[in-house]
Amino acid sequence: MGLLFSRMFSSVFGNKEARILVLGLDNAGKTTILYRLQMGEVVSTIPTIGFNVETVQYNNIKFQVWDLGGQTSIRPYWRCYFPNTQAVIYVVDSSDTERIGIAKEEFHSILEEEELKGAAVLIFANKQDLPGALDDAAVTEALELHKIKSRQWAIFKACATKGEGLFEGLDWLSNTLKSGSG
Amino acid sequence: MFSLFYGLWKYIFSKTEFHVLILGIDKAGKTTLLEKLKSVYSNLEGLPPDRIVPTVGLNIGRIEVTNSKLVFWDLGGQPGLRSIWEKYYEEAHAVIYVIDSACPSRFEDAKSALEKVLRHDDMQGAPLLILANKQDLPDAASSEELARYLDLKKLDERVYMFEAVSAYDGMGIKESVEWLMEVMERSKRTEMLRARAGVTGPGA
Repeated sequence: MGLLFSRMFSSVFGNKEARILVLGLDNAGKTTILYRLQMGEVVSTIPTIGFNVETVQYNNIKFQVWDLGGQTSIRPYWRCYFPNTQAVIYVVDSSDTERIGIAKEEFHSILEEEELKGAAVLIFANKQDLPGALDDAAVTEALELHKIKSRQWAIFKACATKGEGLFEGLDWLSNTLKSGSG
Repeated sequence: MFSLFYGLWKYIFSKTEFHVLILGIDKAGKTTLLEKLKSVYSNLEGLPPDRIVPTVGLNIGRIEVTNSKLVFWDLGGQPGLRSIWEKYYEEAHAVIYVIDSACPSRFEDAKSALEKVLRHDDMQGAPLLILANKQDLPDAASSEELARYLDLKKLDERVYMFEAVSAYDGMGIKESVEWLMEVMERSKRTEMLRARAGVTGPGA
């Protein structure tokens, strides 16, 4: 997977510094996805500004991960991580139907950020292996993805623990970034 | 005073932005069309057809033609994804409906999906361009044959056209865009959408 990934993305950004944010509620499976991609060591840091950010540097692409939801007081600091963001990967626990409403609200509020206006959005409907998991159409509905009209988006069913669906999603992302109108 | 002139300036020189929906059942060639539009009308290269995967969401293409901006919304056409189409109707100035002319076994599906689109209230008065796509394939049905098959009733009041195209080699693409521009510029629906956006001025 790591190798495929390298092949896909090496031509997208050239030597430019790029950032991809991996976001979602806690326990959605964000870190598992990064581990699955085997791109390098996931470094967990607790910066002084007070929230957990995990970073994977892959060539010139920086993947940064944190949990959305809760703790409104530290939110202004999220903005430190927004500049140069080409894409947002939003991970949803498809089996957590109780919190999918919160996932939706957090999703739309982060997309309103001025500095993320140009970013393409890839959604992983994760944990498809769990009983009662919503499928891609149902997650689309629940997250109200149709409200997105000025940027490209795509949703993929995924099971991060087995590595399913991740490659398809990233393939879409690299194509989208390549064709240059995220 | 300044704002008055500025408003007038904007009114005269701002480019109108049109939203065009690209719909059709899966494998019709919507994304290939979008990529072709991008490569014909902008400097962007556009993805080669063999790199295009089924769409599960929204692809966007922005092009500029003469004095207008066109924004294309290309939505996935698999049965489970079609429920999302209608969420985009309200803001669309026109619709392009793409049909794979070389696949008669799916004409029925294409027809019923199109009829559903046209029945929707939010689509009222939207100009319709039906593309008989994949003309590069040897056994593709002509646009006349397709029109006969679809036998669309109730199209009388709607501005529409059938066009034979190939999103693969570019046949008919320019003619399609020219027609769209012309009908959108003088359509009642454009006036209606403009009036609704009223507060923010023309073309916003």
